Amino acid sequence: MIPTQYYLLLSAAVFCIGVFGVLTRRNALIFLMSVELILNAANINLVAFSLQYGNLSGQVFSLFMMGLAAAEVAVGLGIVLVLYRNFSDVDVTEATTMRW
Amino acid sequence: MSAFDFAPAIALLPFVSFLVALFGGQYLPKKGAFAGIAATAGSLLLSAWVAVTVAGGETYNEALYTFTAGLDTFELHLGILIDPLTALMLLIVSFIALLVHVFSLGYMNDEGETGLPRYYAGLGLFTASMLGFVFADNILMAFMFFELVGLCSYLLIGFHFREEGPPSAAKKAFLVTRFGDYFFLIGVVGIFVTFAGATQTPGLFAGEGSFPVVAEHAIVDGATEGLNTFGFEPQTWFTILGLLVLGGVMGKSAQFPLHTWLPDAMEGPTPVSALIHAATMVAAGVYLVARMYGFYALTPTTMAVIALVGGFTALFAATMGVVKQELKQVLAYSTISQYGYMMLALGSGGYIAAVFHLTTHAVFKALLFLGAGAVIIAMHHEENMWEMGGLKDKMPVTYWSFLAGSLALAGIVPFAGFWSKDEVLYEALIHGLGTDGGLGAAFLVAYAMGLLAVFFTGFYTFRMVYLTFHGEPRTETARKPHGVRWNVKGPLAVLGVLATTIGFINMAPVAKLTDTHIDFLHTWVLGDEGSGWEGLMTGLHHYETILHDVAHIAPPAEGAWPLGGEVPVLLASAAVSLGLAIAGVLAARSLYKVPEPVEHTNKLGSIKTLLMHNYYQDEYQVWLATGFTYPISRAADKFDQGVIDGVVNGISSVSLFSGARVRKIQTGVVSNYAFFITVALVVLLVVFAISGGWF
Repeated sequence: MIPTQYYLLLSAAVFCIGVFGVLTRRNALIFLMSVELILNAANINLVAFSLQYGNLSGQVFSLFMMGLAAAEVAVGLGIVLVLYRNFSDVDVTEATTMRW
Repeated sequence: MSAFDFAPAIALLPFVSFLVALFGGQYLPKKGAFAGIAATAGSLLLSAWVAVTVAGGETYNEALYTFTAGLDTFELHLGILIDPLTALMLLIVSFIALLVHVFSLGYMNDEGETGLPRYYAGLGLFTASMLGFVFADNILMAFMFFELVGLCSYLLIGFHFREEGPPSAAKKAFLVTRFGDYFFLIGVVGIFVTFAGATQTPGLFAGEGSFPVVAEHAIVDGATEGLNTFGFEPQTWFTILGLLVLGGVMGKSAQFPLHTWLPDAMEGPTPVSALIHAATMVAAGVYLVARMYGFYALTPTTMAVIALVGGFTALFAATMGVVKQELKQVLAYSTISQYGYMMLALGSGGYIAAVFHLTTHAVFKALLFLGAGAVIIAMHHEENMWEMGGLKDKMPVTYWSFLAGSLALAGIVPFAGFWSKDEVLYEALIHGLGTDGGLGAAFLVAYAMGLLAVFFTGFYTFRMVYLTFHGEPRTETARKPHGVRWNVKGPLAVLGVLATTIGFINMAPVAKLTDTHIDFLHTWVLGDEGSGWEGLMTGLHHYETILHDVAHIAPPAEGAWPLGGEVPVLLASAAVSLGLAIAGVLAARSLYKVPEPVEHTNKLGSIKTLLMHNYYQDEYQVWLATGFTYPISRAADKFDQGVIDGVVNGISSVSLFSGARVRKIQTGVVSNYAFFITVALVVLLVVFAISGGWF
């Protein structure tokens, strides 16, 4: 059996890629994808610990999180659409008209 | 069914006439005058009925409407107190109010004035408030009506509000009296605070449990339980309270130094001057002192202050009356002076003399003002006496009644003013002689000032009469004066007869000389045992006991009289005051009873300037306002705007400034927020790692 640390390392790697994407990219669609990566890093963690302790709660939670991620994408895509309508672009640094 | 059941109607009838005149006056004949006449006539009839009932030995002291009932503490209520003093004052007020309403038909309606419903509404409200003040049974109710009469005075002085003078005079009257009333209000609150622990009814004027009676027990029997005197001796504290209430009295009764509003108040219509600024409202202050005399009599210091203020005002105002050129101004100063006499009498223990002078003065001063009103109608609203002259033959009714009033004012025997003024001076003299120490000396000083004022009174009164009615007419208007009708002559005739005769109700000197009981007013307010109202403790008998036992104010003891007895002193006092009055009259006669009088006042030189400027009283009061109060309030304003507001504004500007800086981190760029979150997460991890000892 593969030791749990490997899963955790995988999860950490995926999370870091996701955070990197959020911090560096300006395209709102890439943003959404990066957020998906972060969420799935968490899912990997949950499933890994579920396996480690032989407890199904983690797997159930990861199922819930998939549902949550689907909903989030629906909302997120809606926001991206509105962003495009208002600014003719999906660059997140453009949408600063409501500050100060 | 007793007259007392209808007592509230005495004040309510004029109040109804106020409402009728205000809301329906425009549609009524004579613009509401008849409503006022009917209402005041009704009040007069009811007052007469009440007076007859009181003469039968009954009195009345009931709460009618309680607006705040306390649990285990005092209550606030409206109520009615009727004793002989109240009954007398009710008669005076409603009688003068009736005559003034009738006179107004001639002075206002016939002269084609506009805004008459407002005028009659003002008169009605004034009469109602004054009557309410007179029969108030507690000091809070008295204060409320005291303020109401002040308001009516303001409204009526400023009746001709489109001209320049009246609104300004109205404001001045309102502010100056309000300055005094401020002290009165503190005094009222002080009385409630002081006596609330000792009695359920601390505000009452009369009866067991009223503040004068509780105060008397505290001083005479030492029953100070429940009293809150703020750590002072009871007598000291009562002196302070008495002086505070006296502030209101001095404002309303135009005593020095708060007299400055009254001469200006002559800007109001003349009937208003007669009713409010001579006969009734100005009497409210003196009446208040008489009403709570049981309280004042306990504190000799207050009595001395009252006597000195009164004596000084009497002399001070009389000297200013000597140089005035306008008819109503002379009368205004004489009013101030005469109220000084009443205060002098009250302060020196002459309660009966003050009440007597209040009665006679109300009659003869109302007469003089109405007479002046008739002259002003005749002269087409010219008030300067130097423009008149020779009116004697043109208007005989006015002349003869005015003359009767002037003789009464000057104090010539046997007119009303002689008897009352003589009694005032006599009482001041004997109490000054009989009282030991500084108090007696204060009374004698006040007496001397009052006596000197008699000469000036005789002089300015007859200067006024000679300039107005005698000699040759000095202008075209005076040659062809405007006629007056029955509604002017009627009240003048009635008052003229009264001014001649009303002194006979209390001829104390004659009563003493002949040993007969013809001093009816004395008997009226005596209130000794068996009169049916000793329970109220507002009788003269009771006051004399307090004066003697507590304040030690009394006439000389048997055998200690100068000149060998009471009768020689009485005769000497009467002779001196009558002699001075006649001297004043003769001086005026020799100077002004010539066909072409000239202004002799110029010979006074700088004194005339001083007198014409009223001793610079107005100037110094204006200076007090602009040179003293204004800088202080400006400094206070600076402190408020600078320091208080500065601290508040400083705090808010710190918040604003830092907020303006801090909000810059809200860039609106999602990446930045993510960056902050990540950095924070890393920092947290590092902190936990170090503090958790992971490394």
